[in-house]
Amino acid sequence: MADPKKKNWLKIGLLLLVVLVAVGGAIGWYKFFREEPQPDWVTATPDMRFKYGSIGAEHDAGIPYWIFFVLPRMFPEKLPGPGGYASLGVAWEQGQELPIGFTKKVIGFPRVANNCASCHTASYRKSVNENPIFVPTGPNHTLNLQAFFRFVVDCAKDPRFNSAEIMREIALVYDLPFLDKMIYRYLLVPITKKRLLEREAQFKWVYHKQFPLWGRGRDDAMNLTKYFLLKWPMDDTLGPTDMPSVWNLKKYQPEKGMLMNLAGDSHDARSVIIDSALGLLSAAPHNRGEFMGQIDWLVKYLSEKQAPKYPFPIKEGLAKTGKAIFDSNCAACHASERTGTRVPVEEVGTDRERLKSWSKQAAIESNEVVRAFGIERRGLVENEPSGYIAAFLDGIWLRAPYLHNGSVPSLRDLLKRVAERPKVFYRGYDVYDPENVGFVTQGPEAQRIGTKYDVSERASGNQGHEHGVNLTGAEKDALIEYLKTL
Amino acid sequence: MSSGQRFLYRVGVVAVAAFAVLLLAGAVLLGRFGADSPVDYQDDLDHFKYGSLGSEHEFGIPYWIWRALPELFSDKLPGNGTGWQSVGFVFEKGKQLPVGMSQRRYLGFDVVWLNCAFCHAGTVREAPQSEPKVYAAMPANTFDFRAFMRFLFATGEDRRFTPQDILLQIDIIRKREGLRKLPLIDRLVLRFYGIYFMRERILTLRDRLSFIKEQPEWGPGRVDTFNPLKAYFNFPADKLAENERIGTTDFPSIWNQGQRETLKMNLHWDGNNVSLEERNRSAAMGTGITPPTGDRKSLKRVADWLRNLAAPVYPFAINKDLAAQGAPIYKNYCAECHGADGKDFRGEYAGKVVSIADIATDRRRLDSYTYDVTVNQNLIFAGYGDERFSHFRKTFGYANSPLDGVWLRAPYLHNGSVPTLRDLLEPSPQRPKTFYRGYDVYDQKKVGFVSEVGEEKGRKYFQYNTEEPGNSNKGHEGKRYGTALSAAEKDALVEFLKTF
Repeated sequence: MADPKKKNWLKIGLLLLVVLVAVGGAIGWYKFFREEPQPDWVTATPDMRFKYGSIGAEHDAGIPYWIFFVLPRMFPEKLPGPGGYASLGVAWEQGQELPIGFTKKVIGFPRVANNCASCHTASYRKSVNENPIFVPTGPNHTLNLQAFFRFVVDCAKDPRFNSAEIMREIALVYDLPFLDKMIYRYLLVPITKKRLLEREAQFKWVYHKQFPLWGRGRDDAMNLTKYFLLKWPMDDTLGPTDMPSVWNLKKYQPEKGMLMNLAGDSHDARSVIIDSALGLLSAAPHNRGEFMGQIDWLVKYLSEKQAPKYPFPIKEGLAKTGKAIFDSNCAACHASERTGTRVPVEEVGTDRERLKSWSKQAAIESNEVVRAFGIERRGLVENEPSGYIAAFLDGIWLRAPYLHNGSVPSLRDLLKRVAERPKVFYRGYDVYDPENVGFVTQGPEAQRIGTKYDVSERASGNQGHEHGVNLTGAEKDALIEYLKTL
Repeated sequence: MSSGQRFLYRVGVVAVAAFAVLLLAGAVLLGRFGADSPVDYQDDLDHFKYGSLGSEHEFGIPYWIWRALPELFSDKLPGNGTGWQSVGFVFEKGKQLPVGMSQRRYLGFDVVWLNCAFCHAGTVREAPQSEPKVYAAMPANTFDFRAFMRFLFATGEDRRFTPQDILLQIDIIRKREGLRKLPLIDRLVLRFYGIYFMRERILTLRDRLSFIKEQPEWGPGRVDTFNPLKAYFNFPADKLAENERIGTTDFPSIWNQGQRETLKMNLHWDGNNVSLEERNRSAAMGTGITPPTGDRKSLKRVADWLRNLAAPVYPFAINKDLAAQGAPIYKNYCAECHGADGKDFRGEYAGKVVSIADIATDRRRLDSYTYDVTVNQNLIFAGYGDERFSHFRKTFGYANSPLDGVWLRAPYLHNGSVPTLRDLLEPSPQRPKTFYRGYDVYDQKKVGFVSEVGEEKGRKYFQYNTEEPGNSNKGHEGKRYGTALSAAEKDALVEFLKTF
């Protein structure tokens, strides 16, 4: 016979257990999964949203805020120079907690991840005695993305990346509540370390000893897709190219046969945005509906956003003369039906390495992966890369250095024969050179801040596009003046 | 009761007793080591001079070790110094702690460390034989920050920095003062933990700040404000650009902060912040507080007090007629940038930044504060809501400061390169090329401190050399800056400035 007393105890015990599990579950949900919307200022204007708004990358690619915070202080020797994250050339506004393109969002705990703006915000200074001006959707020519990739992995590999040392560093800057301390110490630090180390295999090519460094303002985008989305084993290709501007995307009209990306790898803006965003998520979207909502917003914002005006005076008369020169020398490719379509590499003659880093097979497989995420898009172009896109020239003044691989510092240099173009220069310094139209790429400050670009290195050739090189000096001046107006 | 029961009963009693003892011991230890309470002061002035901002949490030195160090290591003090006075600390009568040092009970010890006043309180003597008068919120004209650090680091490096030697020295002092030996528990903690820990702290600090060794000597009354911040961020000093490695400037006066705040003046020498509140917290970090350990209430009390604190009145005779002649000259030449007078700071350019090309003073301090520092500052106080820094801005010149209490703010210019106001009104070639700092006897004629005395009663003063990098006395000159006035006009202007 069951003892009624015992039965009661059992009931109470069970009830307690249920309560405990419920409370534990609630705390667990609160501390690990609760999503808080970003503060209002983030979405106050479209530009702010582009610069600081989450696109959902915090779920899988997010780093716990306080770990992100202390890494540069604990491992400054792994950064390219003094200045914490600033030494990576991130676009960091005065007064802002995080650089542009770095998003902070609470999913259980505050996490930091990236959005499009990290690579697509340009900065320039009109003189050394001025602060930088940031242009969302412009190319981030100062960002040393490779150094950033290496930094986080290098930190994770360091034996000092452990709970005891990280907690000690955090304690110097913030007094975490007890439960959060425990969560950081026993879960977040070890898990973050593990996840960063897992990336090492995919980042193998970033450490390739025979490859030259990408340098500031460049990204090996197609390899990134191959190794992260497709998880292909490392091959021998290398194709770092300039970060592109992403303003005014409505100029690309797929129905007219225009393609996107430097080598025409993608069909339309929406596909490019989806693929790039997936790269930032480094996983399938956590919530597909929400993700597609972000994509729709980005498509709209980037379609409408216009290139910034040239910030220095322009000589109207000279520019007018230049227009005629442009029409007879440049317009056939850069302002015609041909603009936005592929020009065979044999014709343009620029460096071919970028083309080798991508393939028809890669495009087919990538399209399959994205389709498997349940995302419909026109997607990547399933044929072998054979040339580069004849570029639209809107905002060309802010898109230096030039050519797809950023091998020519200024527009003036681009109008020179290959043999006369600079062989070594420094990229990533943000003071503008209105004389040559481009950034200052020589001199002590450019050398100190910039990364050395040597055109003899692999994938960095400055050959090709020898157009307009026979113009007279005066004609070139006029043409350059006109290009400032675009 | 069976013997078994009796045994169990006894075990029970012993267990309960043991538990009670443990509980009691725990409570005693908690009381002994768990307290975190500062020595408080009723009076705002005393609070400014001796109150705690919480810097002891990270940097506190047990009081008795603080007492022992200058005696045990007297050979490491500058000159043939005795006591903390030899690095320029100011002691008021009957006080064991200098102005600018606070005390707190923390981790079971009375620990001491710095507050605002160690950089912002100084002394004036009318004549060599006069008693020094302490002025709160004036620049610490005698305090040699670097000599202080050098001494501290030297003790940490010395073989005598051992529990044995330090405890013995403490015993000697306490015996001399008629006190019993330190309690056993204190001795034990210091012997087996505290002194080793302190030594490690001192040496860590030394390593972080090692870049200072490469800089020209600061001398008393000066500090490099933003390079230590780079060390705080752990920027590798050897990779910094050459032109940003020196940023030595005078300590500023910090009275009358309220009007500066109301007029939204650019604060700091280069005007890099308009938020008084942020500037205060940033400066407080210089005393050793960290975002988690700073005492908000205490800092607010200091800040509120400084808002309305008036500049001290010039205590010596003023030639009223001469001063009256100076007033219109001031109005013509100075008011636009430096404010209407010593009470009313309004002026078209007052509190604004003048470009370096215009002011043409030494640019090292300006260059030491870089854009990279600015954006990294954005992370300071992160996690504490609105306290996070968001008002720092990189500028490209120096800010025009109101001249309240200017008589106490010598030497002049941001780097303290010109000893007196009268010298400042000369073109730079006529300004002294070298002079002495740290001497607190007042020069009523030229308005500033006597700058020709290199030594007094065995104490050596610091020779400032304007040729050293960061020390240039150029700039703030030319017709607009009053250096082309006649000698009589300059005398009148200087007389007028005494009224500020």
